[in-house]
Amino acid sequence: MKFWRKELIFPVTMVAIVLGFLISLQMQTHKKSVTEANKINQERTANMKTVMANTQEENERLKKEHQDLIVSMDTLQERGSDPLDIELLNNLMIMDGTRAVQGLGIQIVVDDRIQEHKTVFPLTANELLEMINVLRFAGAEAISINGQRIVGATAIVNSGTAILVNQVPIRRAEGIPYEFNVIGDQETLVDYFTNLEAVTLKEKGGMAVSISKKTVQIPSYKGSYTFKYAKPPASLE
Amino acid sequence: MKWFKNSHYLTTLGAIFIGFLLIMLLKSPASGGQTEAASAVMLVQLELENQQLANDNERMQQELTKYYEGQSAYALAQEQLFKAQLSAGVLSVRAPGLRITLNDSKDPVTEPNDVAKYVIHEAYLREIINCLWSSGAEAVAVNRLRVTSNTEIFCSGAFIQINGSRQMPPYVIEAVGNTDEMQTALNFLYYWTELGSYSQRYGITREVEFKDEITIPAASLRQYRYIEPGKE
Repeated sequence: MKFWRKELIFPVTMVAIVLGFLISLQMQTHKKSVTEANKINQERTANMKTVMANTQEENERLKKEHQDLIVSMDTLQERGSDPLDIELLNNLMIMDGTRAVQGLGIQIVVDDRIQEHKTVFPLTANELLEMINVLRFAGAEAISINGQRIVGATAIVNSGTAILVNQVPIRRAEGIPYEFNVIGDQETLVDYFTNLEAVTLKEKGGMAVSISKKTVQIPSYKGSYTFKYAKPPASLE
Repeated sequence: MKWFKNSHYLTTLGAIFIGFLLIMLLKSPASGGQTEAASAVMLVQLELENQQLANDNERMQQELTKYYEGQSAYALAQEQLFKAQLSAGVLSVRAPGLRITLNDSKDPVTEPNDVAKYVIHEAYLREIINCLWSSGAEAVAVNRLRVTSNTEIFCSGAFIQINGSRQMPPYVIEAVGNTDEMQTALNFLYYWTELGSYSQRYGITREVEFKDEITIPAASLRQYRYIEPGKE
């Protein structure tokens, strides 16, 4: 113990005490904060799961109610109209998008998630507008993007990092971000979309695009048509 | 062990270690919130979808209530038919609105690199119409052609194809609804501002007029070939 000089004993002891205190405090605080953070996270996740389960349950209930109401409305329509009016109404409801439809068409999936091996630019509202326009040009009879029916009054806008379609953010948080369902002539849709849109999305945007021919289901438009200012011709008022 | 005998080194070492521990103390454990963020997005989407469904259900419920309260099935069916004609765009409508005129420049091209900026492109029409819908337009037409669910606005060389018909400039966009809201939204649209600067620099036309009454023409009823009724 030759190197222990008398004048060192006090500072070394003090440093050792402070070190011991701090190490002990650090371990306790870390353990406590980790435990508390985990607890908060667990509570938050549990709350989120509960809210999500309730919202999904509500969604199922509303969908069922929606289907039942459509059946009631159809029954009422059949009771009060002649067959020609019913046919006209069905046609109009397809045109304004308020009727769910199905038919031969194509499904397009666009993946713009970040990838390690290449640069990918996220899909923008403008690109979505262009894609819809090309599909309409190819004679699409009905279009939906991630469950939102595209109608004449559909606005597609950027809101922060989100894209809103019919005022609903549509990008999927998990899995393939965008899925288009389109009804129309399959050959024309594939041909036009491949040549006019898919190539650009792949080459310039770095996105993965795949198109498949299939029978697709397209939901109804759930937004509301409001005519607060617009009035029909005087003869019909 | 010479250094160890020196109290300065010892206290310096101790101080560094204490500093390190203090930093560790101040650091809070990182929260893993990526999956939570994804769930939050899904939740917002689901809640908005529920809101849409609830509104639509309420609308149908109100119509059914009218029937149960004594309105005849015929009258209700006719009302439903009328509303569907309005929303599908097969009835003309009139209301206060905006009339926007866009036209190619008549000035000689003095800046050859910017030749594209002397003409009106279909993207301008699409963006303006999209902006008008997002600001509450109730009906829109371009060159007296009603914009519906199936309207394409597609550049095919010297003309723009709209509802299958070839259109040449000037392009007149008419929209009815709340004119203040539509004008405000246009002022925030990038293309609108760009067109304003092109009109000054290259001579294109970008005009907007407020009208007390504009009549938006009706669209033709579309016949469908591939569609059949489906389920939600």
